[in-house]
Formats: sequence, structure tokens, C-alpha cells
Amino acid sequence: MAEQKQRVPFRKAVLGLNGGPTDELVVHLGCQLAKVGNAELVAVHVIEVNWRHELSEELTAENETASALLDMAEGIAEQYKVKLSGDLIQAREVAAALVDEAIEVGADTIIVGLPYRQRFGGDFAIGDAVPYVFQNAPCQVIVVREPVASSTERQPDTSELALAAAGRR
Amino acid sequence: MTDSQKPWLHGRKPGDRRVRVGRPHTPYFRYSGPGTLVAREAASAPRTASGRMVERVRHVLFGRRLSIHEEGNERLSKKKALAIFSSDPISSSAYATEEILRVLVLAGAAVLLVSLPIAIAVAVLLTVVSLSYRQIVRAYPSGGGDYAVARRNLPRMASLIVAAALLLDYVMTVAVSTASASEQVISAVPGLADFQVGIAVVAIVLITLGNMRGLSESGNIFAVPTYLFVGSALVMIAIGLFRIVINGESAPPPSPLPGAPAVPEMLGVLLLIRAFASGSVALTGIEAVANGVPAFKPPEPRNAATTLAAVAVILAVLFVGITFVAYSFGIVPIDDPIRRTVISQVAAVIYGDGSIGFYLFQTFTALILFLAANTSYNAFPRLAAILARDGYMPRQFSFRGDRLAFSSGIVVLSIVALVLLIAFGGDTHALIPLYSVGVFVAFTVGQSGMIFHWLREKPQGWRQGLAINLLGCTMTGVVAVVVLVAKAPTSLLVAIVIPVLVAVMLFIHRQYDASAAHLAVRPDAVIPPPRRDERVIVPIPGINRAVVQAVNVGRSIAPDVRAVLISDEPEKAAAIREQWERQIPDVPLVIVESPFRALVGPLLAYLQVLDETWPGGTDYPITFVVIPEYVARNWWERILYNQSANRLRRALIGRPHTVVVNVPYRREAEEPNESEPPPS
Repeated sequence: MAEQKQRVPFRKAVLGLNGGPTDELVVHLGCQLAKVGNAELVAVHVIEVNWRHELSEELTAENETASALLDMAEGIAEQYKVKLSGDLIQAREVAAALVDEAIEVGADTIIVGLPYRQRFGGDFAIGDAVPYVFQNAPCQVIVVREPVASSTERQPDTSELALAAAGRR
Repeated sequence: MTDSQKPWLHGRKPGDRRVRVGRPHTPYFRYSGPGTLVAREAASAPRTASGRMVERVRHVLFGRRLSIHEEGNERLSKKKALAIFSSDPISSSAYATEEILRVLVLAGAAVLLVSLPIAIAVAVLLTVVSLSYRQIVRAYPSGGGDYAVARRNLPRMASLIVAAALLLDYVMTVAVSTASASEQVISAVPGLADFQVGIAVVAIVLITLGNMRGLSESGNIFAVPTYLFVGSALVMIAIGLFRIVINGESAPPPSPLPGAPAVPEMLGVLLLIRAFASGSVALTGIEAVANGVPAFKPPEPRNAATTLAAVAVILAVLFVGITFVAYSFGIVPIDDPIRRTVISQVAAVIYGDGSIGFYLFQTFTALILFLAANTSYNAFPRLAAILARDGYMPRQFSFRGDRLAFSSGIVVLSIVALVLLIAFGGDTHALIPLYSVGVFVAFTVGQSGMIFHWLREKPQGWRQGLAINLLGCTMTGVVAVVVLVAKAPTSLLVAIVIPVLVAVMLFIHRQYDASAAHLAVRPDAVIPPPRRDERVIVPIPGINRAVVQAVNVGRSIAPDVRAVLISDEPEKAAAIREQWERQIPDVPLVIVESPFRALVGPLLAYLQVLDETWPGGTDYPITFVVIPEYVARNWWERILYNQSANRLRRALIGRPHTVVVNVPYRREAEEPNESEPPPS
């Protein structure tokens, strides 16, 4: 019994959704792992608010897109019969807000997605958000990198969107 | 929560602040994209106590509400499909032999020998019809059967005739199958003879409830009773053949024959034709496979055609076999002192009367007959929904209920089947003439549609297909006429019902067409902003908060607002005017004295006068009649309030250039000071 408990991947995990191509992968992986230990999931999407706006300003268009994203996650979780709640956050820094939210909800895991992209010149670009989470999250972190094949199929503008949503706006 | 009220959450570092954004839509809706919401179950939940109580009762009776995403898309293997689609045609072997014998018995015992050639002739007809339907299955893999074929290839009238015939066929399947199942129960347990109609009625009610709950054509539900019936019937025939052929057992028919006239009729062509017409009821339901081709696993047409062939072979073997065994053991239908069906007598002879085998066989027979009735509960509502979508039946038939079932179709099917069942006293033999005519009309029109299909499309091998459908059309057409004539006068009822149904469908279509043409907006039209003037009339009983709210709503619609008080008490009206001019000075009050104490008439007349005084050369203004209404909190309050408002609304709906606006006043919605008129 004790051995079985040790195998449970986590009790509560925060899924960081950025509106990019990895979101579905993150949710599916989160649900599959949560099912093992009957764990709880919190899908978090952070809307990055730049300094021209008040942090608490109503961003209707972004809210609708973000809500659609969180609702997509809830839909997938329902298929897996896993408990998932959605959290929509406005913050100046995506990664900091994600880590702070994970601490506040008492999560023991953060699962984030990483789109496969390259800088000009061909070097792999990891962005700022994932290293920040690696450095600052007190819990375990799982990163789901997008398959290379699907990244090549992506349209350039989608890639840019994902890049922006990942915290580089 | 407003922006300023959103709580700021502090992170681990001083600058890391964040705001949690509320998502109030989540209990009721889910975003599927920007600007697109999908309602959740909670959005449809009742909000009043009485509504919740009704919902609980519905939940117990019909189960929880299902989402369209929960609809099963089970693809059927040939084995499951055989079970599902064969219950209707194969169950007809339970009464087809009896129908032949009931005719031949009139001509005396010697004539019963003819029952076997007649059964073989029906089996030949079955072969031709099933070959014809295999053509339909291959040519129309999207399903729909005869109606789809007729709609694609024949004039509208022909497709409506098929639709009417099929609707009638489905109703008769329910009535005949449940009546026959009830007879099988009574043949096994004669003590229940007084409850023959009652058993069938209860069965229909239970099947209706099951289907309202969304009981689907689940393969497992059908497979067990169907295969048990087929298996036990084949064993029964095999034992019978062994005893007849190897052991040489046989028995003469009883003398005198029960139900036979004192002087037997001559064995004439007419009697043979009548017997053949009666036996052709064995073909009913053979079209079921053609209706459900998309439900098969791929390759759908091939699997459906194979299944159809298997159904036809099983049906032919059972029908001819039961007829042969019945003839060999001298079995004829018995009605007195209690009714015993032919198939139950065959089972009694083979398995032993009162044996476990006999009771089991009777149980399987009754079950497959009930399942045959259930198949109509899928077919009738679907066809009615297709007709409703095509505009030939009321649109309610295309709406799906809480359990994804076409509830209106199910209810109508049950009611009509119950009426027929009770009207005919649950007598299968009396109901069957109505059954066969509709089926053969549908067969004939469907086959003729296929003839036009081959001639138009001319695919590879079209000549062979054309020949099969030509033969099928000719044979089923002849049988349709034969059944109509031989089974008169009862069958003539169908000749009246089908044209009446077609006329009703055409009438409905014309109505929908006319209203659609009237409401249509030209696709290229750009809608300009409204150019007509607007004015507001607020009928008032005096001054109260509801009236004030209605006046304020009126002010938001148009600047030309006037209140109208219809009164039969001039002194009271004067007092109201005095108060009105003091409290709501910027809205003119018109008092219409009504010495005859009428309310609606004078208001309508006043509106008429306003229209007539409108200057010529311009369009009449749109008149908004804003009616203050007090929202009742309980059912009994609805009796006490708003009776005048209801009368006014009924009188004004349909009046040209007039829009009726109800302004509900909720007692808890307004604060006392809000009733004060706005400062001038």
C-alpha cells in the first residue's frame, strides 16, 4: 500500500496553459497522470498585462480567448473523469504568476508546455518562462516539449502567438 | 465585481502581483471560442420550486437530461445488426402461417394442403423483394429506405405516398406485434385471456417509457431474444421434420374444423388469392435493413446486403418450416373456448404441451414480438423528424427531448397504436389487413423509384439491377392490389388514410412555404436603419411603481410617450390626472371615459383614432404599447393579478404597426425611492 502511494505522480498539479500548441498535450498528460492517483488539477492561464494598462483592467477579448482555453481543458478533464478547475489570472509576469499561483493552491507539481522553436541561426529557443519556473518553483516541474514534427507543420503566425503567450511579449 | 473591487494577490517577490479574473459563466456556459458559448446542463435547469419538482419527476420517469455529445454512435457488426433488424421481419413468422390457415379453413380440411404451396409462393416473393432491397442498400448507402429512394427519383407526391405508407406501417407494426405477443402469452397462460388487450396496452406503455428514456437499438438488448427465438424455432422445425419424415408421424386436422362454416366454400382462385394475400404479411419489416445502412460497420452496403440476405433466408426457412409442421400435424387456429395461436400449438406438439420447452418458446416468441414493436419506435420518430425537416410535418417532430429521443414522434406513435389496438380488440387477424396494404404500397413505390434510378444513373451492371427492381416492383404492385381487394373492406381504410395523410402533409408544407416566403430576407439586401416614427402608449390603471417603471421604459424607446387611462369613474380619473400631472409632468395623460365599462375596446379605438389622425404621405408610426405587469410570485397570485394586462395583450397581438411590450415589475426588484418620478 505504501509502495503504491509512492508511485502516485502528484496530489495536486497546476497546468500552465499559454494558448499555444502544447496546451492540449499538457492537459492530456496532466489528466493521465492525475487519473493514476485520483489527483486534482488546476489549469492556469495568465494574461500578461503590459504597463500601459491597469493590472485589474477588464480585458474582454483576452478574457474570452482565455476562458475558451480553460473551458477546453475542463472538457478534456471531463472525458478523463478527472477533477479540474480553471484559474484565470492577470499579471505583469507570466512565469512569476504561475509559480505564485501554484504555491497558493498548494500544488506539488507544475506542468508547462514548451513550443519547439528556433532562434534566427538555428539555436533552440527555450524562452524566459520555463527557466524561471525551473529556478523558482518549490515543487516538481514537468515540461512537455512540442514534437518537432508538429512545430514544422505550424504556421509562422501561430508560432509567434505561442512565443508571445509564453511570456515574451 | 468591478475592476476596483478585484483583489490583488501578492506573490513571493514585492513586484509580483496578480489579479484573479472571475469567470461567472462557468456554471452555465463553456466558451468554445471567442463570442461562442455552449450551454451546460445547469443553464437548462429550472429556476422555480415548481419547475424543480417537475424536473425531479421527469428525472425519475425518463432519466437525466442527455447532451448531444452523449449520443451513441455504435457501428453494428453483422451479427448484432442481424439481431436488431431481423426482429421485425422474423417475428412475422409467428403469425403469417396462421393468417393463411384462417382463410383456408373456410374451405374445409382438404384445402389445408394448399397452405404449403402458398407459403412457398410467399417465400419466392420474399426472395424477389429482398433481392430488390439489396439493390437499394447498394445504391443508397446513406440509408432512408423507400422514402429516400422516392424522394430522389420520383415526383414529390410519390415520396409522400411512401412516407404515409411507412408511417402507417410503423404504427401497424406496434399494434400487430403487441397484439400477437399478447396472444402468445394467452396461448401459454389461458387464465390471462380476459387481459389480452390490457397486456398489449401495458406493453406499449412500457415500450413508450423506455423509448422516452432513450432506449436505443442496443445490440445486446435485441440479440438475446432474437437469437433465442430463431434458435428454438429452428430446433422446433428440425424436430418436427424428423418426426414427420423419419418417424412418419402426422395427424389429420380436427373435424369439423373450428371456425369453419357448416358448408365449406369452394376452393376458388379468390380463396387462394386471399390466402396468399394474408400470408404475404410475412414480408413486413424486411425493409428495415435498407433504412439503417449507415449503422453498419464498413463496408456498410456490403455488410447490409449480406445481413439482408441472411434475414430473408432465416425468415423463409422459419415461415415455410412452421407452415409445413403445422399442416402435417393438422394444426388450425383455435378461438374457442380460448384462443390458441398456430405457432403455440406447433410448439405444444413438438415440445409437449405444458412442458418447460413450450413455455420457454412462448416466452421467446412474445419477447421477439415486443422487440419488433420497439423497432418502430426508432423508425417512426426518425421518419417523422425527416418529414418535419422537409416541412411536411409540424416542426415539433424534429425536436429531440431531454434523452435525445424524438419525443413527439414517440408519443404520437403510441397514441395511434393504442387507439387501433383497443378499437380492434387486440385481434391480430383483424389488424393485419391494414398492415399489409401500407407495406406493399411502400415496397412498390420504392422499387419504382429504383427503376428510375437505374435508367438515369446507368452505372455498371445497371441492366441486372433494373431487371430485379422491375420484377420486384411488378410483383409487389400486384400483391398490393391483391391485398387491397382481397382484404376489403378493412383494407380500404388504408386507401383512405394514405391520401388523407398525404393531403395533410401537403397542407403543412404549403403553410410553411407561405410563411417562409413571407419572412424571407433577400440575401443581397442591406438592411437600412429604421425610418418610421415611433410612439409609445402606456395603458395605466392609476399611478403605482409598476406604471412608473413602464413609463420609464417607454421613455427609453421613443420621446413621444403618452399614458392612457380608461376609466368609468370620472371623479377618480380626475384625481389621478391631478396626481399624474404633479408627479410625472412631462408625460401627457389621456383619459378615455368608458361609460360602458369596457377596457379593451376603447383602447383599440383610441389607437385607431391615433392612426387615422397621422398625417398622410408618410408611413404609419410604429406604436409601442407598453403594458405594466406585476410579476406574480406564486401560482395563486397569477389568478389575482394581470388579468386586464393579459386581455390587452391578446387583443393587441396581430394589430398592424403595433409592438406589445410587457414590463414586468418584481416586488423585490425595486427600492421604495425608485418609484419616485425623476427630477424634472
